[in-house]
Amino acid sequence: MGPSEVHEQCSRRPQQACGANPVRRIIDRYGGEPEMLIPMMQDIQAAEGYLPREHLRTLGQELHVPLSRIYGVATFYASFRLQPKGEHTITLCLGTVCYLKGADRIRDAIRDEFQVPPGGTSPDGKFTFAPVNCLGACALAPVMVVDGEYFGGVSPASVVDILRKVAAGRQPAECAADAGNRQEEGREARET
Amino acid sequence: MPTVILDEKSCAAEVGETILDVARRNGVWIPTLCYHPALEAYASCRLCMVEIDRGGWWQMVTACNYPVRRDLAVRVESERAVRARQGVMRLLLARAPESPELQRLAARLGIQSPGLPTVTVAERNCILCGLCVRACEERIGTAAISLAGRGVERKVSTPFDEPSADCILCGACAAVCPVGTIQWEVHGDEVELVPFGTRGPVRRCAACGAVLAAELAALAVAGRGAAAVQGLMDGEGFCWRCKRKKLARELSAGLPGGGPPSPRERPP
Amino acid sequence: MSTVVSKLESSRDLEEYRSEVCGRAARVDCTVRVCCGPGCLPKGAAKVYDGFVAAAGGPGEKSVAVSSKLTGCQGLCECGPIVTVSRLWEERGDSPHLPERPATNLGSVPGCAQMGTGYPLGAFFPGGIFYQRVRPEDVAEIWRESVEGGRVVERLLYHDDKTGTAARTAAEIPFYRGHCRVALALCGVADARSIDDYIAARGYAALAKVLASMTPEDVMAEVTRSGLRGRGGGGFPTGKKWRSARDAHGEPKYLIANGDEGDPGAFMDRALMEGVPHAVIEGMIIGGYAIGSSRGYIYVRNEYPIAVDRLHDAVLQARRMGFLGENILGSGFSFDIRINRGGGAFVCGESTALMASLEGRVGEPRAKYIHTVEAGFHGKPSLLNNVETWANVPPIILHGADWFAALGTPKSKGTKVFSLVGRVKNTGLVEVPMGMTLRQIIFDIGGGIRDEKSFKAVQTGGPSGGCIPAACLDEPVDFDRLSELGSMMGSGGMIVMDEDTCMVNLARYFLRFLKEESCGKCTPCREGIAQMLHLLEEITAGRGRPGDLERLEQLAALLEDTALCALGKTAANPVLSTLRYFRGEYEAHIAQRHCPAKECRGLFRYRIDAEACTGCGVCRKKCPVDAIAGQRKEPHVIDDEKCTFCGTCRDVCRFAAVTRV
Repeated sequence: MGPSEVHEQCSRRPQQACGANPVRRIIDRYGGEPEMLIPMMQDIQAAEGYLPREHLRTLGQELHVPLSRIYGVATFYASFRLQPKGEHTITLCLGTVCYLKGADRIRDAIRDEFQVPPGGTSPDGKFTFAPVNCLGACALAPVMVVDGEYFGGVSPASVVDILRKVAAGRQPAECAADAGNRQEEGREARET
Repeated sequence: MPTVILDEKSCAAEVGETILDVARRNGVWIPTLCYHPALEAYASCRLCMVEIDRGGWWQMVTACNYPVRRDLAVRVESERAVRARQGVMRLLLARAPESPELQRLAARLGIQSPGLPTVTVAERNCILCGLCVRACEERIGTAAISLAGRGVERKVSTPFDEPSADCILCGACAAVCPVGTIQWEVHGDEVELVPFGTRGPVRRCAACGAVLAAELAALAVAGRGAAAVQGLMDGEGFCWRCKRKKLARELSAGLPGGGPPSPRERPP
Repeated sequence: MSTVVSKLESSRDLEEYRSEVCGRAARVDCTVRVCCGPGCLPKGAAKVYDGFVAAAGGPGEKSVAVSSKLTGCQGLCECGPIVTVSRLWEERGDSPHLPERPATNLGSVPGCAQMGTGYPLGAFFPGGIFYQRVRPEDVAEIWRESVEGGRVVERLLYHDDKTGTAARTAAEIPFYRGHCRVALALCGVADARSIDDYIAARGYAALAKVLASMTPEDVMAEVTRSGLRGRGGGGFPTGKKWRSARDAHGEPKYLIANGDEGDPGAFMDRALMEGVPHAVIEGMIIGGYAIGSSRGYIYVRNEYPIAVDRLHDAVLQARRMGFLGENILGSGFSFDIRINRGGGAFVCGESTALMASLEGRVGEPRAKYIHTVEAGFHGKPSLLNNVETWANVPPIILHGADWFAALGTPKSKGTKVFSLVGRVKNTGLVEVPMGMTLRQIIFDIGGGIRDEKSFKAVQTGGPSGGCIPAACLDEPVDFDRLSELGSMMGSGGMIVMDEDTCMVNLARYFLRFLKEESCGKCTPCREGIAQMLHLLEEITAGRGRPGDLERLEQLAALLEDTALCALGKTAANPVLSTLRYFRGEYEAHIAQRHCPAKECRGLFRYRIDAEACTGCGVCRKKCPVDAIAGQRKEPHVIDDEKCTFCGTCRDVCRFAAVTRV
């Protein structure tokens, strides 16, 4: 099966955790080619929220790739998680521009307020915190993303506020709408 | 056939071999840590740095994997190359200052102390040379261990840091480890690969009780058709000394005097 | 979004299809372009776009035929979300039926020429009203006034912050003067999801020309003559690399596009891949033809999901129309593209690490004593170029090597895309000819430093680059000059810093970044960066010792000589360049335990300005160690002995009375 046919079948965002042989289905999606290991692992993680050990073992067996290599790949790349993730995912940009605008202190504020270490999950399972080295939205520095929703121009105080609301059950999208209105004012205030 | 000049020494070379191959054959010493003649070059330790003439400038390269393709002029003992090797040695020694093997190597390079603080954590002096991983994957074919993590957090590990289900406890990793990080330790009837935690039974000599091999390793090797280990597998395993004594006794059975004493059972 | 299509089987089919598309475009009275690029999307641009689509699709007879386009980055991210509204007669060269309009306002940039038909280069946009900071609530008014009524909504126009003059079009905005879009020609103009828009503007015409009338040697000669150099950072002559790939032995040959833009502060490749994915694809197909490869890969950074989606959709569209697959446009040449995502590792921007990742392995680089063009991906000849380099190929083919070589400087031809971010007023994406000076980019285009602060340095080339100080502002931006100054072009990130930035702390930031991103394979990078970072942490904490600077320099030299890949070899650049131009700051940290920029905690003091202080007491209450004393309505005072330098007092003061000394 050539790359063209595989791509026609390829669905980039699997909807939910699959049933019977989820890993086999993902492997078939990429024509069983071992070089597509990383996209396969990304699809497993997209479906399950993390990389369950048994799925990785199955992947190794089906692809005839040693488990040690799969484990090496799973621990090398920053986007892979071997532990289940929290209810909400916080991504904080630590790129140069965001850093110069205080992203370090924002990271500390999130860590201290919710007891979630960078790269880990909070004890109550609410938040997984994944700092990232640059999201490419530098004009909006500092930038935080919660469940895919962008928040630009944030501060230690505003992120704690947003995340408290999210923890209490508000949708990140609603918080973004509120935050958008206050962004302009906030930025002007900080720049004086 | 290209000529490789190592400092003043002119050496014949084959196309495709490395600078290190040529040096070793001609008695020129270049320090190495992650190199092993039976394994693919990995060039991670960066100790074997030398300079090569690029016509107009000198390039720093690793001798263990630089392929000779044409005539080459190499400076092994230039100030720049010596300084580079010493710098790398200091970094390694700073990482694992207690390692006797690294201390000896450093002394040979003229270094008594790292001159740098220890800023990274080396589990049991591991310097991440990767020899164990490569031996297991390339030579043994099992690939039970790999390098996990990234950067200073990297370490040699079994999957999920648990005792490996694939490991045959052959001990090749321990044999190639230059700094003693990995040990093949026998306790009674079991052998453990430290620090991985993988354990399994060992076969002992039926006569003297000396350790022969891990059961799994013996099985694996027999499974690959090695006749030499058949003796181990059919319950009549003897160590080489006892095997020789047994053979000598059988050969001399007909001689006057009765020959050497029979191998004795020794309690385990 | 293309209408149905049967495959195009020849150049003529393509021309006919193009006429049809342009014909349809000519029946549109008004085009609304909503920027949904990396700067505008997080500000809610998607809802603005939805608003326009809803308005166009709403009930009732419409007086105006409108096309709403969701576009890639339109450049001036500072003022996003951006919406441009153009009447048909303001579109330039959109259709062969329209008269040619001369490009306006080129500033003093030589060489920007008009394309024949198709979007003109040099001028930035089709003329059209340029609205900025548009919110979903503004859509109804824009619709009524501009789309239906042909009038202008004054309050949403760009106003010059000094003179207050309103600009009607992008061409009147200082930020856009001197822009010369080649790689980004259609970014912000075409709908980012539409192959039709790309084709209408002569997209894939370069490919058709190559397949119909050029040999692989012709293509290589053209690219070589153009002087194009790699846009990913290395600046290696592209034609020369293609030649080596063509001459290499081994089948199959692979073509790879590096979309793993990892430099923090850089989003050029993101904007390109999201905004005009077909430009990358077309460039790659042409490259495949030139070197004899039929398999292409685009490796996209994992953190860019939108780019992955757009490229994926673009590949499907191109395949359906016959630009990818077997026997392209009836030429007998076949080529297809697979898209892979990275897993989250900066080191995978390095070519051998990228190829390892494409093979399903960890991103560990390997020695390049045997180049990847000879043995790369799967050990086969592999041609890897950055996505921006690929996007330059169709314009070079269409307009010729001489046209391209007329732009830029003698050794750095063409244009470069930069992300201009940090402390400038006008942050955004710019594409300018090589040779423009830093001053022109930062002050003329960027508008200078915000908040009345003074320029201190500009950081280029990401973690492998360096800082360039004010004394060098009149230097031209090109590959060689930036390297001579101790920095490098890199992928194009330009981070501008002002007087409040501590250069020692900045060096520390980059080393921390590199320490996390180091793959850990080789001793010098893994251990050496950790050693340099340790030194910088001590220095910024006030524990620097005499000899530390010499130690840093020795480690830097060691890394350059012994590290395995470019990440390690150039890791010391941020330190070396800040030492070169700002050594005094380092010395102050060490000898006086003082941070001149007043950024390093503990190396400066907080003082309450008695004149400004109103005695409100907020700082006193918020101070976590009760270091502030004072009566209500009396100026407060900070006790230096108790102060832990947390900065809370300065954060909470509403009267700007807490200063740093």
